[in-house]
Amino acid sequence: MIQIFSKTAARGIHRAIQTSDSYCLFSNNNRMSTSDDFLRAQDMMSTEGNRGCSLSVQSTPEIEKKYVHRVYDAIAPHFSSTRFAKWPKVAGFLNSLRPGSIVLDAGCGNGKYLGFNPDCFFIGCDISPPLIEICAGKGHEVLVADAVNLPYRDNFSDAAISIAVLHHLSTVDRRRKAIEELVRVVRRGGLVLITVWAREQEDKALINKWTPLCEKYNEEWVNQSSPPVRSQSTTSLECIAENDEGTGVVKQIDDQLNKKCDDLEVKTIIDCSDLSIDEIDKTQQEYFVPWHLPFHRAEIGGASAAALENGFAKKDEKKGAVVYNRYYHVFVEGELQRLIDGISNAAIVDQFYDKSNWCIVLEKL
Amino acid sequence: MRLLTHNMLASNVRGVTSGYPLKLEATNWCTKDVDLNADFIRGLLPKIDWRALVAATRALNLPELLPEEQPSEDEIFAEGAVNVEGSAIRRIHHALLEIHVQQGALICPESGRSFPIEKGIPNMMLHEDEV
Repeated sequence: MIQIFSKTAARGIHRAIQTSDSYCLFSNNNRMSTSDDFLRAQDMMSTEGNRGCSLSVQSTPEIEKKYVHRVYDAIAPHFSSTRFAKWPKVAGFLNSLRPGSIVLDAGCGNGKYLGFNPDCFFIGCDISPPLIEICAGKGHEVLVADAVNLPYRDNFSDAAISIAVLHHLSTVDRRRKAIEELVRVVRRGGLVLITVWAREQEDKALINKWTPLCEKYNEEWVNQSSPPVRSQSTTSLECIAENDEGTGVVKQIDDQLNKKCDDLEVKTIIDCSDLSIDEIDKTQQEYFVPWHLPFHRAEIGGASAAALENGFAKKDEKKGAVVYNRYYHVFVEGELQRLIDGISNAAIVDQFYDKSNWCIVLEKL
Repeated sequence: MRLLTHNMLASNVRGVTSGYPLKLEATNWCTKDVDLNADFIRGLLPKIDWRALVAATRALNLPELLPEEQPSEDEIFAEGAVNVEGSAIRRIHHALLEIHVQQGALICPESGRSFPIEKGIPNMMLHEDEV
């Protein structure tokens, strides 16, 4: 049963306590090298790509592997160098936690919130090994893990945060599962903070820079130069079709096979940027959001060369950058709340919109 | 990876019902000083699985660090104990927060799946056929 309390009640639950004699649980003398990041990540993925597919909600769909995991692995140092601003609402949440709280950050990226409240013990995880090595290099306690399948025992931490993570998950079941995992790992009375990109962007022009994706039912890769050979079992996965020789437009094949698996949850998400504005539904929520990796960045040699060769990144000579596409499912108003509706052991204690993000605070019941 | 982290990590391989505690194998570990905060330890202790913590210290070949049975709260939080070399609270603090496993593995007690620890980072990612 979901209850919505007032913000005042939420503040009461946060039991904000500030102490003057803070102590720090972290020493920052642990340096890490970041060599071979991409190769290692690629190795891992090609191994996975060749394995059989399953219907498990915890199986990572190809679209996330290619347009989330690989991209972050490839852009990790540049991404990290641009991610330092702490968002006041997240900072406020973390500062409101009791001293001695254990905080799990699921999808911690470059770890910008790890150790933010020096009175708490933070453990971060992310699916991107290069990003996690960056965190470890800063002396943070981190591990490589999937936010959809957290490797923590139940009811342990005092708080869990998921900052700008859920919008990278490509199915409603996976998004819900990730929330269930956050709730599972916090203790009774523990708090969960979730923020996601909103479709309702403050800067309306921003969306025009993104590539809307259409959902179509399909089952095969269009371009066979793409990673592993797809078997019939692929029908159980969500797949993304390959770009058609740089036009950004994707063609579809195999309508017959479509019909065979109509009842399966199979979809291919394709670029529909050639459609007129009218055709793009106002409910559009699936996008590619570009990441411009400047030519001068050191990592352009290794990872990006491979990415360009594989066709999942493109050169933009005008901007002097390699352009990666990141998959986003942007959230509409009320969507986070609906995801939580089915979760019986959590109550919404606060929800708000801020800086083009939908945010929600849950308490475990 | 600190032993506090080990204390909360569990194997999530499909079909595993109790992937806890993970058996620790360490080929390389180090210690780093952290200021002791008794309130933090007090808040943490009820959640710590003592047997798992003791097993982890044994795996590091530190049989003397912690006793098999958890000391009483009275003993751990006795006045002045934080300043006494070798006191229970200092040992617990050291075990939970100051030891870092740099190289090794975490073994699922049920499936036998080995999760590597490299450069202090456990890799808990599963393969497609394990989820």
